[in-house]
Amino acid sequence: MKEIDARGLACPAPVLQTKATLQEDNPNRVRVVVDNAASQQNVQRFLESQGFQTQLEQHGADYVIMGTCEAASVAQPEPYAERQTAAKKIMVLCATDRIGFGDDELGLKLMVNFLRTLKEMGDELWRLVFVNNGVKLTIDGSEVIADLQNYEKAGLKILVCGTCLDHFRLLERKQVGETTNMLDIVTAMQLADKVVSI
Amino acid sequence: MFPTDANVIVGLDRADDAGVYKISDDLALIQTVDFFTPIVDDPYWFGQIAAANALSDVYAMGGTPKTAMNLVAFPAKEMDLTILRQIIQGGIDKLTEAEVVLIGGHSVEDKEIKYGLSVTGVIHPARVLAKQNLRPGDGLVITKPLGTGIVNTAIKAAMASVDLTDRVTRLMAALNRDAARIMLNFDVSACTDVTGFGLLGHLSEMVCGSGTSVQVDSRQVPVIAEALELASMGLIPAGAYKNKEFREPMIALAETVPRALQDVLFDPQTTGGLLISVREEQADALVAALKAAGSGDAARIGEIMDRPEEKIWVV
Repeated sequence: MKEIDARGLACPAPVLQTKATLQEDNPNRVRVVVDNAASQQNVQRFLESQGFQTQLEQHGADYVIMGTCEAASVAQPEPYAERQTAAKKIMVLCATDRIGFGDDELGLKLMVNFLRTLKEMGDELWRLVFVNNGVKLTIDGSEVIADLQNYEKAGLKILVCGTCLDHFRLLERKQVGETTNMLDIVTAMQLADKVVSI
Repeated sequence: MFPTDANVIVGLDRADDAGVYKISDDLALIQTVDFFTPIVDDPYWFGQIAAANALSDVYAMGGTPKTAMNLVAFPAKEMDLTILRQIIQGGIDKLTEAEVVLIGGHSVEDKEIKYGLSVTGVIHPARVLAKQNLRPGDGLVITKPLGTGIVNTAIKAAMASVDLTDRVTRLMAALNRDAARIMLNFDVSACTDVTGFGLLGHLSEMVCGSGTSVQVDSRQVPVIAEALELASMGLIPAGAYKNKEFREPMIALAETVPRALQDVLFDPQTTGGLLISVREEQADALVAALKAAGSGDAARIGEIMDRPEEKIWVV
């Protein structure tokens, strides 16, 4: 358990202290004490963005945030890339929100079904990347948003092309995955054992 | 009550962007003052931002700024005077761009740097664009993207890229002049500029006492893309939380609005955009004209409703 006393500090200092502690010690549990509501909410958000579950207690004027991270590896930046397993690394690149040409309605149904069935790949499914029209599957209103969010919760890294989101003016509507750039996508292709392009 | 006289068109009782005082039947003075501590490291850019911010209140009233005076606080004994010169140069260059003349100022010795200006402008007394005059059925238009407060917090935390810092600095230093000029060609009922209270805070000020309500479509609100990610990492200025807490009773936020976007809607802005209530049939044309004149992020974000509750619905 790491203790951080950030009382008397204003935003963003408490978040920075917490961030530094996570980077130095990579703890499974942290306890952060702050004395104002804005810092409390910001620290809680930061911990949650780093894969921690948080609990809040109030002691007089102090807020105590308890953060627990089940698997220490979740807090690490690249858990999947670093994990040395025998499993193959399969990267799936979706450049469209529909499978095939012909009937668009059918194409969309097939894509939904495809993404849901991908889980059968098990541990070998290593990266799911959305570019061009594919990014539309990651925004609010998409039929597969819950499925993608479940994949992400289970630890799958989902990458969504920032240039594409920006092009369609959908940046603020993305609900799942990390916004990424071409260099990340190309690097992932190089590291993958197999790239499946849809 | 504060003392007043018959020529005060907009005074303290109205809490508008600037004060307006009638000189004759066809001329009124607009006066405003604003100053603050540095928000970017570069003194020249800080000067520009402070000037753009001070001028903005005159534009938001529909007026034309004419003259300005400097307000300076500077630790002259501890800090190199070239820094002060750069700040003032930034202010002067921005005033020149706005065709406003610096005609004086005052400085004091202080531990902390502060800079700003008092600005005087002119307007026809019958053409003052008040804040609290929303017209039911109007469309609501904003001229700049939101998120400068969150990005400034990230800059303080050294978590903003050079590119992002640069983009947001330019955004904060951008004059609202051209947007205001364009707005005056349309049938506008009310206008304000988005600053410290954030979009929903300033919109609340417009709604209070107007007898109308507003619906905002959060998906249409222009946002600096990185601000959402920074917000979800907890890099939110304390002011955003205060803005939210203060106005919460009159704002209904749909659950579907992502949390980070909610924060952005309350994020305090520096030289934020103009928030304009324009006749519905003209709203799209206003947005198109704004975009053509360089406000690329201008967007139609909501509508004024003929409902007396004086509430804001965010969907």
